[in-house]
This record gives sequence, structure tokens and C-alpha cells, in this order.
Amino acid sequence: MLVVMTRVLFVIALCCAAAVVALAQPSRASAGWCWPNCSTYGLLYAWTSSNNGCWYSGGEVCSGWSYWSLNGVSKTCYPGCDYWRQTPGQILYGFENSARIRGSFTRLPGTWFIHPSDVGMGGYLRAQVTEWQGTVSQINAAAAG
Amino acid sequence: MFMLVAAIAAAATAAIVLATLTSASKPGALARISNHGHRITLRSNSLTRNLGIDEASLLAVRGGHAYYLLQTQNGPCGAVGQPDKPDVVGAAQCPQGHFPTAEHPVLDLSVYESATHQLGTVSLYRAEGITADGVAAVQFLRPDGSTALTVPVTGNVFATTSVPSEPIAGVAAVDRGGKRVWRSP
Repeated sequence: MLVVMTRVLFVIALCCAAAVVALAQPSRASAGWCWPNCSTYGLLYAWTSSNNGCWYSGGEVCSGWSYWSLNGVSKTCYPGCDYWRQTPGQILYGFENSARIRGSFTRLPGTWFIHPSDVGMGGYLRAQVTEWQGTVSQINAAAAG
Repeated sequence: MFMLVAAIAAAATAAIVLATLTSASKPGALARISNHGHRITLRSNSLTRNLGIDEASLLAVRGGHAYYLLQTQNGPCGAVGQPDKPDVVGAAQCPQGHFPTAEHPVLDLSVYESATHQLGTVSLYRAEGITADGVAAVQFLRPDGSTALTVPVTGNVFATTSVPSEPIAGVAAVDRGGKRVWRSP
């Protein structure tokens, strides 16, 4: 429980940091981004969408366009991990622009961080998390500019 | 005489139990990392503060990237950074619980990409990660299960930027004998 609380607090901290950056640099970062919000976890299914024109029409949630510097994802076992401690869903988390989507995969519960430079991208991007395979992923995602 | 035999038998039993316990407590080759790297002090930023890093080790520099093992308050993390900024961590993966384990001997830090909007099709942009001692190579698999790329592991790190452009659908680990010891998904 403490670990979960710590991660949610970190996500909140990320959003706060993004907001500070946004206030300091309004022309470069309009806001931080959290999904489903900055204090709870949401369920990512194959049909989930943030309905804002993500790379994939279904199974993906993404931020708006901005100069993002960090995307952080916290993933839980919910509704249950298997014998190998794998969650029911594999996610692709990272960034996308109008030409491509890039990121890393995980099926494990834990906390995952990625920067645009880690995936060889930069400039105006969307932060994204995609349900790649499996049934469902319980996640909290947050991006900071 | 009976007391002496009983004492010897008891001592022998205790020795066997102790030896068994000691052996069982040693992690197997898929659950340990022998490369302790070079301990470094990371520059403090929001990421390192929130990860709660107790100790950071630079395991290797390969192909223009630096690979780290971080010990945090919530367990080990694997991370990638830039060799010209060794005190700054980039992407970090912090699985819940211990790493490595026999069930999860590989932390795949690889970057995948797609230029199509068809979900399920992805290729490698860069192949890299951290493995347990018992992993000799990491294989990247085509959708039909055949091997598209094999990357050898040295010092618990695998890394290459020479990757095929074809679709990748899974990752596997093999031991020195070529036996597959792990696969995802």
C-alpha cells in the first residue's frame, strides 16, 4: 500500500513539476498530463481511448502535443498477476509524433520512466501508453514538460 | 558408546542441514548479477529523488549508451543514460519486487517503433537491456517465432543498434548451452 501511495504521489509530483514548468515556459509546455488523472489508476483495455487523435484509434491514451521531457507510468497487478508475477496486459509506453510511435514494452508491475531522448525523439510530441497485448492494464501515466 | 554415536549422528545431520540451507540461500544463475560495475553518484533531479536511489552502479558503456543498475528503496531498477553524462539517468525500469529472478532474468530496455497505425506491428529501434548471470544471449523473435536477431550478453548487459527492420513479436533468453530459459510474451 505504501509503495502504491508513493507512486501515486510521484505521479502527482510529476504533474506539479509539469505545471511549474508550464507556468515558467508557457510557449513550450502548456501543461502536465496525467491519465486517468493525477491521483488514481485507470484501466487500459484494447478499446480504451483518450479520444484526442492518438497514433492508434483504440487501446491507447496519449497527451496533447507539447515539448515533453518525461513520461512516467505506474502499473499494478490488478486484477491479478500470474505465477510469474506478470500482469494481464503488456503495454508500450513512450512518445509519438506525426511520423512514428516509439517506446519500450513491459508486462510487469512497477514504475517505468522514459524521456524523448531515450527513444531518439525530440520536439513537439505526444506522451503515450498503449495496451499492446493481453486483456487489461491498470496504470497511472503522467508526463512532464 | 551409544551416546557417542548419537552425538556424531546429530552433528552429521546438523552439518547436512546447514549445508543444504546455505546452498539453497545462494541465488541461482538466473537470479543474480555478478557485474557490480562502478559505483557512481548521480546528479540529483526529480527522477532520482522520487526513485529513492540508495546506490547506483554503472555496469557498462556500449554502443553510445551507459547502462546502470540502481538500488532503490523499492528494489532494483535498470536504467540507460548517455556516457558523456554518466551522472544523469535516462530511461529507468523499476519492476515491483526483486530483479533478476528465474521468472524474470531479463530487463528489456529496448526501444521499439512503428510507422504504421496498425496495432500489433512493431520493429526494433535499439536492442538493449540487463540480464542475470545465467543469460548468454537475448533473442528477438519474429511473429512466427523464429529468431530475427541474437544479441550476446557480456557483463550482464546486451546492446546493439544494428537491428533488423522486420517486425518483432517477442523476446527470449538463452543460456550458454543455447537452451531457452525465458520468453516474453
